[in-house]
Amino acid sequence: MKEKLEQLRQQAMQALEAAPDKKALEELRVKVMGKKGSLTELLRGMGSLPPEERPKAGQMVNQLRQELTERFDAREAAMEAAAKAERLAAERLDVTMPGKRRPAGGLHPLNRVLDELIDIFQSMGFDVVDGPEVETEHYCFEALNVPKDHPARDMQDTFYLGPDLLLRTQTSAAQIRTMEGRTPPIRMICPGRVYRADEVDATHSPVFHQVEGLVVDKGITMCDLKGVLEQFAHEIYGPETKVRFRPSFFPFTEPSVEVDVSCSECGGKGCRICKGTGWIEILGAGMVHPNVLSGCGIDPEVYSGFAFGIGLDRLTTTRHRISDIRLLFENDRRFLEQFAR
Amino acid sequence: MKVSLNWLKRYVDIRVPLQELCDKMVMSGFEVDGIEDLSQTMDNVVAGRIVKLEKHPDADRLQICQLDVGGAEPVQIVTGADNVFEGALVPVALHDSHLPNGAHIKKGKLRGVASNGMLCSGEELCLKEADYPGAEVHGILILRDEAPVGTDMREVLGLNDVIIDFSVTANRPDCQSVLGIAREVAVALKEPLRAPEPSYTPKGGDIRDHIAVRVEDFDLCPRYYGRVVTNVRMGPSPKWMQQCLKSAGMRPISNIVDITNFVMLETGQPMHAFDLRDVRGAQIIVRRAKEGEQMTTLDGKPHTLTGEMLVIADAEEPSCIAGVMGGLDSEIKDDTTAIFFESAKFRRDSVRKTARALGMRTESSARFEKGVDIMNTEYAMDRALQLIEELDAGDIVDGAIDVNDGLPQERVLTVTAESINALLGLQIPAETMAEILNRLQIRTTLEGGTLTCAVPSFRDDIEGRADLAEEVMRVYGYNHIVGTPMRGEIVRGRKLPDRLAGDRLKKRLTAQGLYEITTYSFISPKAADLLGLAADDERRRQIALLNPLGEEYSVMRTQLTSSMLTVLATNYSRKIPAVRFFELGKRFIADSLPLDKQPAELPALCIGLYGEGEDFFTLKGLVEEAFAAFGVTPEYERAAEPYLHPGRQAAAKVNGQALAVFGELHPDTAERYGIGARAYVAEVRLEALYAAKQPITYYQPLPRFPAVERDLALLCDEEMPVAEIEKTIRDHAGRYLESVSLFDVYQGAQIEAGKKSVAYALTFRSPQGTLTDQEIDAALQKIFKNLGEKGCILRA
Repeated sequence: MKEKLEQLRQQAMQALEAAPDKKALEELRVKVMGKKGSLTELLRGMGSLPPEERPKAGQMVNQLRQELTERFDAREAAMEAAAKAERLAAERLDVTMPGKRRPAGGLHPLNRVLDELIDIFQSMGFDVVDGPEVETEHYCFEALNVPKDHPARDMQDTFYLGPDLLLRTQTSAAQIRTMEGRTPPIRMICPGRVYRADEVDATHSPVFHQVEGLVVDKGITMCDLKGVLEQFAHEIYGPETKVRFRPSFFPFTEPSVEVDVSCSECGGKGCRICKGTGWIEILGAGMVHPNVLSGCGIDPEVYSGFAFGIGLDRLTTTRHRISDIRLLFENDRRFLEQFAR
Repeated sequence: MKVSLNWLKRYVDIRVPLQELCDKMVMSGFEVDGIEDLSQTMDNVVAGRIVKLEKHPDADRLQICQLDVGGAEPVQIVTGADNVFEGALVPVALHDSHLPNGAHIKKGKLRGVASNGMLCSGEELCLKEADYPGAEVHGILILRDEAPVGTDMREVLGLNDVIIDFSVTANRPDCQSVLGIAREVAVALKEPLRAPEPSYTPKGGDIRDHIAVRVEDFDLCPRYYGRVVTNVRMGPSPKWMQQCLKSAGMRPISNIVDITNFVMLETGQPMHAFDLRDVRGAQIIVRRAKEGEQMTTLDGKPHTLTGEMLVIADAEEPSCIAGVMGGLDSEIKDDTTAIFFESAKFRRDSVRKTARALGMRTESSARFEKGVDIMNTEYAMDRALQLIEELDAGDIVDGAIDVNDGLPQERVLTVTAESINALLGLQIPAETMAEILNRLQIRTTLEGGTLTCAVPSFRDDIEGRADLAEEVMRVYGYNHIVGTPMRGEIVRGRKLPDRLAGDRLKKRLTAQGLYEITTYSFISPKAADLLGLAADDERRRQIALLNPLGEEYSVMRTQLTSSMLTVLATNYSRKIPAVRFFELGKRFIADSLPLDKQPAELPALCIGLYGEGEDFFTLKGLVEEAFAAFGVTPEYERAAEPYLHPGRQAAAKVNGQALAVFGELHPDTAERYGIGARAYVAEVRLEALYAAKQPITYYQPLPRFPAVERDLALLCDEEMPVAEIEKTIRDHAGRYLESVSLFDVYQGAQIEAGKKSVAYALTFRSPQGTLTDQEIDAALQKIFKNLGEKGCILRA
């Protein structure tokens, strides 16, 4: 019995190692351990043994069954692992090949920059409002303290659509509509399209875009104006950027200032971009003129405010170093694609 | 305003470097547009006298000059010019000199003879006759005997000067003059101003014996001031005055004319001198021209005047276009003996319009356009008379004619220093404010924190506290303003609903690979023809610009499609194989034309595409995507736009309201625009889409029971719209139908001609339990029956 078992063990082990695949292994498992398998047969033959030897023999058979089961399982696991490894090896890719994508399009560069501005000012509590592009002389000029005989009101500079109707030359017109319609505190920006009778060239367009800003409240000072513009400049040009006020003139603000930022290219040392001055002019601003406030029914003795106007087209062209403003309106796909990040 | 540094120094000491002067002026409100250092134009060129002249031994045309240039030894130079002579004073470019024409002169040999420089012609020194008499004569420039030998030519020519171009803002017309700029320089540098204080002695007589003045149109001429000078002694003006005029780009003419120009440049008040002989009737009438009246200006050009133009006329005819240019008849001549000086204020928009209409912009009109000080007319006149006396150019007649409509009172403003500080956010001491204002010639007294300010007439831009605050601030220095963070209640900045909706659309469309474009709001009226719009099409009711830049940009657009097609054409012509674009813009819709009130500005979306893989349905997919952003599912029907393919265009409607029209471009339209590919375009009325927007989404319970799916293959007439089949299915499927989707449309082999096969996948589901076959079959039978009535047969 013992010899028989040992013989069976030897044969089974040899066959098990020799099995080429899982199928052969499974057949072998049936042949050895199945219902009609050789091990089962051996167990059946135990009846011929003297009763005192039977427990011992039974123990030996069970031992062998357990041993063989373990060996079969191990062999099977090894085969599966090898097969998986082989499959994975076969599935190797050239990972440097290009990805499959359906590329997104993108916003026009003007609106990409505008979205940034809106985020900055909205987070400071500025409402984003709109105003009509076809305006009356009252909203575009009179209410903004631009007198009747001011050159800006000539047909040479302003597009007229009717005796008292024109295409707004500045988003400042929206200041008046906002102040008329609301009571302070007011904090708003008005982005929009404006028009001037300029012939088209590399730096002029009869259609362009501004972002008007207005704050009216009690106790608003020029320092507040500078604070807000510094915040804006830091977000757009970087936290090291310095802001400088230079006296200037606009009919609807007093005092009026041109606002320069330190050149981000050279850090203020002077370079080609800033024409050697270290500064780049970015916008006009000032304290809302008392005539403008009182014209809108706001008492300038109680309230004060500031306004600013950002030229979006110039901000976009300088920011992205676009050499010619006409590119913005031509809409060549190869141009638009460059801003799709 | 271009100002000569030398001229400026006549009124104020400048003890700082040029750059510092410019920086200070910029920071006090006068931008520097340019600096031109005239002395940079040449160096090492001196006045030299020819002491000996001999023929070149080996060249007939050359002469050897020995020149005294102020050194111990004469300098030898060979010249080819033939107008030189012994004793002549000439410009000599010495060895290693630079000429304004860019030449670098070095010593050398000419036909074997040493030549240590070059004699210069007027042309080589870039001079015109106006710069130096004889400068345009062919040959070497022969200098007048005025400078010692060795004098630097820059000094001889007045080129030791710097011209600074200051930008003057519209509120400071008083700085359209050298004296005005000098006043600001004096403040910026804290130096005293030496303004001329005119004084002179009239020689008797009475102006009323010479002339009478009548102003008919005070609305255009609030003040007319005049004086008479007799026994005029015509001649050239002195060199210093000529130098000043040249620095401002004006040509010296004669003592009288030069005085008028000099005073205008110095004080900012344009002056005019009439030859008194030519003032007919000894009368000056300031009046509007008669319609069609003729006159010739002193530049020799004839003009036809209109009734809106102001003229200075004599008893018969206009002799001067007020503020613009004098007439040829009454101009100052070599033999003029008596003159009438005019110093007036004309209304600025009147001068501007006249100058524009006549196409003449003069130094005078430029100043009147910006506005002159009504009180300065008298000062300028006194200054001119002082110069008449100083130059001994004539005898001043007693008396002045001053016709005016009332002169303004001095404006006195009272403000507290505290209120100025409140606006600025600073703590500037009241004493400092008073001191700054006084330096600006705003006479200010301080009492207990209150400033009382007498504003000079030339600063009529100063009306109140804000203006005084600006004056204080620009001198005190804007660098003192320190930014404070945004203060006030913490509020959230809000966007308007339309802007939020626009943002949402843009996100959807860019995610679909579309690029946003931006085009002009005004277009050519021809666009309507290019689109082939019918004569009565609403979109032809466009608002016209009264003064467009050109036909191309002359009407406000009522649709975005034509701009999109232009952009598609641009891209196509540049061989760009495929584009997907969209634009969000406004349509301008007038209530009535001609426009009498603000039009509706309606938001619109335009989508345009061409390229491989694009077809009607990729366009429709994008349109659906736009609708889906707002939960809108419209109905589609055939449309009839003239610019679209007749069989490939659709309109989207919701509740009968038109939302969009889209389709493939008609080949004729494509040809007109020059688009050589099949292109697709959609225009969406966003105001209608936004109005149809679905409200907030509420949660629907997720399905708990399995769905049953059935496919239907139907045979129907090829003209049958699938939308109708789908509607029939939905209408009759009962309440358990969850979805219907079209997955195949087939025509061809195995299908009868004129028919098509359409296949749908139907999904049924009940929230109460698993559906039985009987329930499904019952629903399907009902569907088949109704489809059958529409001529749709179930395929075997």
